Amino acid sequence: MSAGEQVRQYILENFLFSTDTSLLGMDDSFLARGLIDSTGMLEVLLFLEETFGIKVDDNEMIPDNLDSVNRIAAFIARKKA
Amino acid sequence: MPAGPASLVDLLRESARRHPGREALRHRGVATTYESLWQTVLSASRALRRDGIAPGERVALLIDNSLEYVAAYYAVLHMGGIVVGLNTAMRGAEIARRIAHCNAAALIASPDHAELATVVAEGSDLRCIVAVAATTARAAPAGAVAWGDWLGNGDVSDACAATDPAAPAAIMYTSGTTGDPRGVTLSHRNLVANTQSILQYLELTEADRIVNVLPFYYSFGNSVLHTHLAAGGSIVIENSLTYPHLVVQAMATERATGFSGVPSTYALLLQRVKLADYDLSSLRYITQAGGAMAPALAQRLRAALPAARLFVMYGQTEATARISYLPPERLDDKPGSVGIGIPGVTVEVQDADGRPVPTGTEGEVCARGDNVMLGYWENPAATAKVLRGGWLHTGDLGRLDADGYLTLIGRSSEMIKTGAHRVSPLEIEEVLLALDGVAECAAIGIADEILGEVIKAYVVPRAGATLDSRAVQAHCRARLAVYKVPKDVAFVASLPRTASGKIKRFMLKEAG
Repeated sequence: MSAGEQVRQYILENFLFSTDTSLLGMDDSFLARGLIDSTGMLEVLLFLEETFGIKVDDNEMIPDNLDSVNRIAAFIARKKA
Repeated sequence: MPAGPASLVDLLRESARRHPGREALRHRGVATTYESLWQTVLSASRALRRDGIAPGERVALLIDNSLEYVAAYYAVLHMGGIVVGLNTAMRGAEIARRIAHCNAAALIASPDHAELATVVAEGSDLRCIVAVAATTARAAPAGAVAWGDWLGNGDVSDACAATDPAAPAAIMYTSGTTGDPRGVTLSHRNLVANTQSILQYLELTEADRIVNVLPFYYSFGNSVLHTHLAAGGSIVIENSLTYPHLVVQAMATERATGFSGVPSTYALLLQRVKLADYDLSSLRYITQAGGAMAPALAQRLRAALPAARLFVMYGQTEATARISYLPPERLDDKPGSVGIGIPGVTVEVQDADGRPVPTGTEGEVCARGDNVMLGYWENPAATAKVLRGGWLHTGDLGRLDADGYLTLIGRSSEMIKTGAHRVSPLEIEEVLLALDGVAECAAIGIADEILGEVIKAYVVPRAGATLDSRAVQAHCRARLAVYKVPKDVAFVASLPRTASGKIKRFMLKEAG
């Protein structure tokens, strides 16, 4: 499973309580959809750090890196490059 | 002696007269001066009257913090309407219930809300629907007028009927059950009195500039908005704490003089941001309300921001916002206290019969002053429970010391306090019981390091039913705002109950 698919599955299961992939587009903005609040984002960071072995610095916590499944996937790829 | 302000509009008009060119609001990098804000208020007031909205009618707002929210709010007050700021995190059906409950005549909303179409479809009594500009690609609902077109062009007039300070000005919905909405109804006098009291003890002036993350539809954010506009200060709107360091960065670059938050705001900032890396030397004060902050967290906060005075405060929506504050110089000799009544407000601790208890004795915290609400909108039974004997009965338990300083001990009500939100367990239980396979249930708040409390649901399944926690959470997510969805679901064979059948919530809380 690709990193993007893993992230989508995690968001679906933990924030939409579903496995129906049609509920979350790869480019859907978490902020605009009201899916993830400030503490939810902490849970996402923990998931990313544990699952992909990356460390997210404070200055990397920006919408460009984290506000959709595809943005997170690209961010993981950059971190691991 | 000149007459005092009759409404918040008088305070804003005065700020616009004194400092027309000063910045009132900044949002997404765009500044709005007092003069520009005032003209927008007058345009929106004219538009409401043109559309046949009469004084006393309700106008609902479904907009995140923005210029449009602020202008619409003051415009409704200006034309004598009653403004209803709705929680944008709620699901469509929750919002539609509130719009129906107050029988709103107009709705000013952002298409950013994913279920605006549902809200509009159910709001058949709405005579006027205005859509502000969306930040997403979502289209405005059919029948809605675009904000800019609605405001119209041409000269505007400040002429309006005189305001009765005792008339209802705003309704703020607090958490009740789905069949029992609690619309806290505030008069113009309530809003003016609380604004002026807060101005006095925070010593706000036109030099003040706050980076605000609190939603204006809650009483805490509402008070931040009105106090700053009355002082002629400025508000930098940051609508999300999802990226906490961006908020701190804004505090540094905007040279913020103040910041306000609930305990979870500060827990999050301290956990995720190295505050020492930012130049926050302009910050002269920080305020905290919205639930007791653990003394250890308060200490860490003071250590991280030693130059800023920390105001610990207490209040509730039924008291407009604020009831008491702890003067910062008393933090060390009154640890854990929420302080003394704000100017114009008397705090008393009473026994079950409404008599004041002796110093140091526990009882129910009661408040009296011009900040106490008129009542719950069209809910005399609920109003009579909390407005008794000339006092607001807060439902909070506390004691006063010999110097009159209040310490809260707990809540006599069972409200769950999670982050900035107050949630009625009954509302969650009603939704849970609607799920096929649920025989009995209870929702409680359990301790959480960041949020103070998170919601846990105990569910007794019907015989033969197969339920899993994800299905329970998905059912709630479809019907409730995200912050009301239980973070944890436990399946049990039975619930502990008293002899009269009441759920023993304290036993569930102890079990965690």
